[in-house]
Amino acid sequence: MIEVRLFATFREGREKVLFLDAKKYKKASDVLDYLGIPHEEVAIYLINGRHSKLTDSIRDGDVLAIFPPVGGG
Amino acid sequence: MRYARQMMMKQIGEKGQEKLRRSTVAVVGCGGLGSPALTYLACAGIGKLILIDFDEVSETNLNRQFLYGIKDVGRPKVVCAKERLLEMNDEIEIDEFHEKLTAENMGKIIDSADVVIDCVDNFETRMLLGRVCLKKNIPLVEAGVQGFYGWIMSISRKSACLECMGFEEKTMKRSVPIIGTTAGVIGSLEANECIKIILGMEGTLFGTMLQYDGISGSIDRIELQKNDSCNAHRESAKG
Repeated sequence: MIEVRLFATFREGREKVLFLDAKKYKKASDVLDYLGIPHEEVAIYLINGRHSKLTDSIRDGDVLAIFPPVGGG
Repeated sequence: MRYARQMMMKQIGEKGQEKLRRSTVAVVGCGGLGSPALTYLACAGIGKLILIDFDEVSETNLNRQFLYGIKDVGRPKVVCAKERLLEMNDEIEIDEFHEKLTAENMGKIIDSADVVIDCVDNFETRMLLGRVCLKKNIPLVEAGVQGFYGWIMSISRKSACLECMGFEEKTMKRSVPIIGTTAGVIGSLEANECIKIILGMEGTLFGTMLQYDGISGSIDRIELQKNDSCNAHRESAKG
């Protein structure tokens, strides 16, 4: 399974955390398409806490964290 | 007497209070995050605060920037904040800088700080501040807010920074919608984190981001990994 954690406005109308079948999703862009999140709206994307590209491969057991642009002070 | 209730805490006591008194904290940005952060740092007895903000108070600030009132509109934030904070605690020292931080002046202004707190609303200053703090090896508390959401993390040479996480210009929005309560929660967490760092406590947020969700009323932790190819860390290693 892949754990997908959504943050801030990406949560609105969606679950905060999803568990997806690793066999069906090879990279984050596949997950975004499933969730209906336009790729250009993703500001920060981490795999297991490490900065990654949407095209990087994902594996069973990975934790994905996906953030929209953040605000200031 | 002023600090009696916090000195009852085993994490503070007389020694901890003296550490706070001897500390200098630079707060960059005296707006929505700066108001709660500065208030609690001043009340806790941080010996010296350095206030940095080039802006003046505007009416649209008043839904969240509680250091200011309607009479302050048009006046420099650092001047008004200093007046208000000294009303709360006249035992502390405050230096104020009514200017924008740049590559030229930043190092000198924050040089004496034991901790720097980032409360700015623009990408350029945030990135520059991150690099200068890494270079000077000063702990930096970072945070941001938007609507009902906010985040906070701490940065050092040993932990992930914003550049490690892939922060770039499109990552940050300006003039975002914001409710005062969100800024209050996150700004208070910044002050709390700063106090923990000064006291040398465990549980600080180096390498950890807290994500606050004011709609569901939850806080999530994300453990962050340093990026081996991070230019900011690489530059800091050069000294």
